[in-house]
Amino acid sequence: MLASASPLIPEMATQEVQLNETLAHLKTESETLKSKLEEERAKLHDVELHQVAEKVEGLGQFVMKTRRTLKGHGNKVLCMDWCKDKRRIVSSSQDGKVIVWDAFTTNKEHAVTMPCTWVMACAYAPSGCAVACGGLDNKCSVYPLSLDKNENLAAKKKSVAMHTNYLSACSFTNSDMQILTSSGDGTCALWDVESGQLLQSFHGHAADVLCLDLAPSETGNTFVSGGCDKKANVWDMRSGQCIQSFETHESDINSVRYYPSGDAFASGSDDATCRLYDLRADREVAIYSKESIIFGVSSVDFSLSGRLLFGGYNDYTINVWDVLKGTRVSILFGHENRVSTLRVSPDGTAFCTGSWDHTLRIWA
Amino acid sequence: MKDGIANNSTASISQARKAVEQLKMEACMDRIKVSKAAADLMAYCDAHIREDPLIMPVPASENPFREKKFFCTIL
Repeated sequence: MLASASPLIPEMATQEVQLNETLAHLKTESETLKSKLEEERAKLHDVELHQVAEKVEGLGQFVMKTRRTLKGHGNKVLCMDWCKDKRRIVSSSQDGKVIVWDAFTTNKEHAVTMPCTWVMACAYAPSGCAVACGGLDNKCSVYPLSLDKNENLAAKKKSVAMHTNYLSACSFTNSDMQILTSSGDGTCALWDVESGQLLQSFHGHAADVLCLDLAPSETGNTFVSGGCDKKANVWDMRSGQCIQSFETHESDINSVRYYPSGDAFASGSDDATCRLYDLRADREVAIYSKESIIFGVSSVDFSLSGRLLFGGYNDYTINVWDVLKGTRVSILFGHENRVSTLRVSPDGTAFCTGSWDHTLRIWA
Repeated sequence: MKDGIANNSTASISQARKAVEQLKMEACMDRIKVSKAAADLMAYCDAHIREDPLIMPVPASENPFREKKFFCTIL
């Protein structure tokens, strides 16, 4: 008997044809709706941001340099986060180590060795009393920070999130009680820290989700995520719905960050560009790129006023962009390998970068 | 075998239906003009730029990272 994929019985043939017709119908409807969406967006595209910004005063010369170098990781630094106290930092590395630093003195305050390598995500709790981290273990774990330097932090570890693929990013919401995660399994999820319960899951990305950022608290319960499907999605945290979606990047989106007013967000991608998307205009409003910049952007963040956008690149540099005018105002050198993570401090006085060169640098 | 075919198609259909629903929902959004959005972004920058320590540097003595003082911990 020949094995054949096509059904031989007439009823099955009709059923399959009907299903295929429905599918084709839906795909056409999808395409039509997408075109209409583009038309609607285009109608409101009356001007470019950089044109409106021509009348804005230009920025002066920038003197930003490395003020501190944090040495201690034995391998690539993958992620970092600031504590709300504006001086402590948590960082995580490929070798499984998670370190808490005092950035003023460069002293290490705590160190934990995770049971996995490639700790791609770490975050400081709003209270400053705990850190969360995870990576190839597919989990997000919370470690309460002890005042007793001799205490074994690993003993108090709490497993909170479980994904079916690597953890790419995590963030506490505005309290120590909930954590938002993104994963290589294509989903984001919201968890209760105490019970480990899944509160909401977010489906819609067609591939690994690489990054996320919570909207500033005044703007309500939304967050943005970026993924390998080149899409940036904005989600309603309560309903789990994707409320807006942007697909203009040409490659993976490695980093997303809200503009301080919450009305826009920036993204950084392997396509070597950073882009700005306005949420109320529902479109991309700026691209930050240069022909000479050909390496991917790993990480982006805004200065306090939102006027500057810092981008960490795979060519070891940091490019500083004038958000309104679209021009580059500075390029910073120092790291000896890819910049993998970048965050501005909570009061905007400095920003920190982590690199595959095993170090973190504080710039101001 | 026949169930397999039907299941694959129904899964694709359910996915396609979700995509259509999602697009319909996104189509209902109230959008503003780029000129208005741009004006608002500029207004926010303008309102906060004077407090942005990386643009309007505060005196070195007020930025702990720019200070030349060296910190020591008392052991």
